Amino acid sequence: MTETGFYILFCLQKPQHGYGIGLQVKKMTDGEVSISAGTMYGTLSKMEKDGLIAFFAEKEKRKLYQITPLGREILDLEIQRIKRLYRNSMEEI
Amino acid sequence: MSETKVKIRFYTIADFNEEEIWLRKEHQSGWKLVKMVPPCFYHFEKCQPEDVIYRLDFKNNGENADYMQMMKDYNWEYFEHCVGWLYFRKPAAEVHTENDGELFSDNESRAAMIAHVIKVRLLPILAIFLCAVVPNATRISAESVGNIIFSVICSILLVFYVYLIVHCTVKLKKLKDEVTIK
Repeated sequence: MTETGFYILFCLQKPQHGYGIGLQVKKMTDGEVSISAGTMYGTLSKMEKDGLIAFFAEKEKRKLYQITPLGREILDLEIQRIKRLYRNSMEEI
Repeated sequence: MSETKVKIRFYTIADFNEEEIWLRKEHQSGWKLVKMVPPCFYHFEKCQPEDVIYRLDFKNNGENADYMQMMKDYNWEYFEHCVGWLYFRKPAAEVHTENDGELFSDNESRAAMIAHVIKVRLLPILAIFLCAVVPNATRISAESVGNIIFSVICSILLVFYVYLIVHCTVKLKKLKDEVTIK
């Protein structure tokens, strides 16, 4: 999973639209991760197609998405992987 | 009525980066693009010189409201579309991080856009070339033995077509490799 993909999936644990996710990710990472418009749109479309997220509602012409059970499963696996990565990176070789 | 001008420039489906840079320069010298007439006519309108970033996205399946709203949220002004290409611009002053000035912030999405151009534009051109241009050129050249001028014109067109296809194929592949290898 790309960093973009991870943050989008992570944010969609609560319903949100693309631009909102972008702002949230910027805030979470002190501006270090910023997702461009085309990438945001493309990733959301792909995740929806793959069943990781689903359309939740429309608000002021913006589509709100939310994570699906399958997306949740993938996100949990990814979090496990990142935790392991973090633990191992802290240890001496 | 403000002053206008038309410039002729030829950019292929593989030269969108160069086109973006050129449009930015025009805007810096006080000309903003208002209309694009295929294949090579750029209509400009006189404006206040300003540093404005231009970006092209390729979407042949039409732009939907959701996509346009997202672009607007990100401060991209959509102002023209031309055979699948969508034209966006944003003042450089509104760009605070590198990715604010880009349509794509990761290599996956950059590669996906190029792959889309290859599939929707390059492959059909290649198919037309192999199924229509080549057989006809062979037939015409066989029939027009003796008519030198006609043969020369056909040959020039054929060479031009081959050049375009090779240029686009090589360049699109290079652009795609650049983002895949990184």
